Amino acid sequence: MDSLRTLYRYRQLIATLTARDLKARYRGSILGFFWSLANPLLLLAVYTIVFTFFFPSALIHPYPLFLFAGILPWTFFSAAVLESTSSISSNAGLIKKVMFPAEALPLVTVASHLVHFVLAMPVLLLATLGFALHGDITISITILLVPVLMILQTLFVAGIAMTVSSASVLFRDLRDILTNLMQLGFFVTPILYLVDRVQSRPLRALLRLNPMTPFVVSYQDVLFFGHLPGLADTLLMIAYASFSVAMGVTVFGRLRDTLAEAI
Amino acid sequence: MSDYAIALTNVSKSYRLWGRGSQFATLKSALLKRDLALTPETSVEAVRDVSFAVDRGEAFGIIGRNGSGKSTLLKLISGILKPSSGSVRVNGRVAALIELGAGFHPEITGRENIYINGIMLGLSRREIEARFDQIVAFSGIPEFIDQPVKTYSSGMYVRLGFAVAVHVDPDVLLIDEVLSVGDEEFSAKCVAKIQEMKYRGVTLVFVTHQLDQVRNLCDRALWIDHGEPETIGDPVRVVDAYLQAVSSTQTAPARAAADELKTPATAIAPRDDAGEEERWGSGEVVLSRVILVDSRGDELVALGPGTPVSIEMDVTVRVPQDDFVFGVGIYHADGTCVYGTNTDLEGLMPEHLETNGRVRFVMPALDLVAGTYRIDAAVHTRNGRAFDYRRGVIRFVAGSRVHDIGVYRPKHHWKFEGGIAFHEIDLEQRNVPVEVAEAMREARKPRGKV
Repeated sequence: MDSLRTLYRYRQLIATLTARDLKARYRGSILGFFWSLANPLLLLAVYTIVFTFFFPSALIHPYPLFLFAGILPWTFFSAAVLESTSSISSNAGLIKKVMFPAEALPLVTVASHLVHFVLAMPVLLLATLGFALHGDITISITILLVPVLMILQTLFVAGIAMTVSSASVLFRDLRDILTNLMQLGFFVTPILYLVDRVQSRPLRALLRLNPMTPFVVSYQDVLFFGHLPGLADTLLMIAYASFSVAMGVTVFGRLRDTLAEAI
Repeated sequence: MSDYAIALTNVSKSYRLWGRGSQFATLKSALLKRDLALTPETSVEAVRDVSFAVDRGEAFGIIGRNGSGKSTLLKLISGILKPSSGSVRVNGRVAALIELGAGFHPEITGRENIYINGIMLGLSRREIEARFDQIVAFSGIPEFIDQPVKTYSSGMYVRLGFAVAVHVDPDVLLIDEVLSVGDEEFSAKCVAKIQEMKYRGVTLVFVTHQLDQVRNLCDRALWIDHGEPETIGDPVRVVDAYLQAVSSTQTAPARAAADELKTPATAIAPRDDAGEEERWGSGEVVLSRVILVDSRGDELVALGPGTPVSIEMDVTVRVPQDDFVFGVGIYHADGTCVYGTNTDLEGLMPEHLETNGRVRFVMPALDLVAGTYRIDAAVHTRNGRAFDYRRGVIRFVAGSRVHDIGVYRPKHHWKFEGGIAFHEIDLEQRNVPVEVAEAMREARKPRGKV
C-alpha cells in the first residue's frame, strides 16, 4: 500500500522521467519514434512472407492484420519486462545518491513502452481501414474496447516489471533467463496461429497456462474478429492483472530497503 | 512541531556481504542448490550505536577518516539507506547533496534536466517554474542552458547540480563533500549560499574533510571513527581532537598532559553559549591565566565604548616548542564572531618558546555595541593542533548609552548641512512610555559602569 501511495505522490516524476526517456531515445534520430515500430513491422513482414508464400494458411485472412493484432501487445509485454530488469541497476546513481522512489524506475520503463504501443495503434488502425476498404474485413465497434484491454495489460505488465526489476538486482542472471523465456513465450502465445487449431493436447494446456494468452486472444477478438472477448478470458485477464500487481508490490516492498546497498 | 530537525537513536547499520565474497547470487545457482535463502554470510558494521540530535537551524558537521561511516550516516539521515537497528527521525523536507547532478540525463538539455532534477528533489513543476530563472542565474551558465548536458564540462555539470539543489528550499540540507568542487569563484558562491541558508534557519549537516569549513560553518560537530561516535560538541574542539588523533607525532608526556586537560566527551554537548568555559589541547604549552585588562593593567569585566583594553595571557611552557601560534577571538553571545586573529595570520614567525612568559593583545579601543561577549584564547601549532585552547575563557559585558545594533561600531558622527536641524536630548529621557523607559534603565543597571 505504501508503494501505491508513493507512486501517487511521484506521478509527476514518473511522467517527467518517461518524457525524458522518450526524448533521449529519439533525440538525434531522423525517424524518431518509428524506430520503435521497426521491430514489430519487421516481424510482421517476415511472418507474413513466410506464412503467405511458404506455408500458406488460408484459414486466417488477412493474415498480416491478424499477426499485427497479436504482435503489438506481445512486443509491449516482452520489451517492457526485459528492459525493466535493468531499469534499477542502470540507474544505480539515483538509488544510491538521491532520495529517489525506486518504484518509479520500472514503471517509467513500462510507461515509455506503453507510449510506443499507443503510438503504434494508428498504424494498425490504418492497416485495418485499408483492408476494410478492400473488402477483406469489416471494421467493428469492438475496437473501442482496446483502451480497456490496454489498461488491464498495463497493470499486468507493471506488476511483473516491479517484480523482475527488484529481483534482478539480487539475481543478475534473471535478465538472461527472461530473454530466453521470452523467445520461447512468443511461440507458446497464440500470435502466429489460433489456439483452436492446435492439435496437440499438452501444447494446448501450455497455451492455456500462459498468462499472456487471454490478453493476446482478446486483442485479436476486438481488433480482428470484431467480437467481444470471451468471459473466461476477461476473468483471467482481471485475475492475472490483480495477481501481478499484488506480487509486484509485495516483492518490491520486501526488497526496496536492500536495493541501495545490493545494487 | 518538535524542536529537533534530526534525531538518531541507537542507530546501527550493517552492510551485508553475500555468499563466497561475491555480492550477487545467481538465480540459477540458488535454484540448483535449492537454497534461495537471502541470508548473508557475513556483514560489516559501518555505523554502530550512534545517537544524536540536531536542532532546527543548526549546522552540524561530521568528520572522520575514510571509511569511518560518515557517508553512511548521511545516507541514513536522508533515507537512502535504512538502519539495521535503531531509529532515524527527520522533520521537514530533506535535500541531499550527496552527488551533484546525480540523475542528470546526458542526452537532454540543461533546461529539461533542471525540471527533472527539481522534481526528483521533491518540487512540483510549478515550483520549479517559479525558481527557474534564479537557478539559471546561480549556475552562471545561461548560455548553455539549452544545450544537451553531455556537452557540459564537469565544472558546468556541478554548477547546475548545485544550483538546483540549493533552490529546493529544504528544511534540512545534507551535504557530502561537495563544496570542494568547482572553481574558486563557484566554491565561494556555494559557501555564501550555504551561509545564507543557515541564516534563514535551514538545518545543515556536512560531511567533509575540509576541517576549516567545519570550524567556520558548523555550530557542532561529530567525529566518528570506525562507525562509532568519538566526540561530539564544539566544532573547534572536535576538529582539534580529531587532528590530535590523526597526527602520529604525539609524544607520551604530551598525551598525559592532554588527558589532564580533556573535558569528557558528553553525548550531547551544549550547543553554543552555555556559559561554561570549554578547554582542550595537548598541554605542552598552557595558557594558565587569561584576563581582560585596562590600560593600567587592572582586570575588567565590563567595558564602555572607547576603552583601551588588552587580553593578557600567562603562558606556562612544559615542553619547549619552535612551532607555535597565539590566537584570540572575540564572539558575541549569540555565537557571531566579531573578530579573530593570530600571530601566524599577521606574519609573526615563531622562533622559540622556551620558558614561561606573558602575551598581551593590545587594543587601543574596542568599540562594541551593547551586549555580552566572550573571548577565546589559544596557543597551537601552525597547522592547527592545539596545545591549549580555551573557548569562552573570558566573558564580559559591553555597555553603551546608545542602543545601536550589530557587533561593530565604526567611529562616526553625524553632519548636517542646509535646512536640516536636530537638537540633542538626554538619551535616558527619550520620548518613550514611562514604563518602557524604566524597564530599560532597570535592564541596564547590572551592566555596571557605563
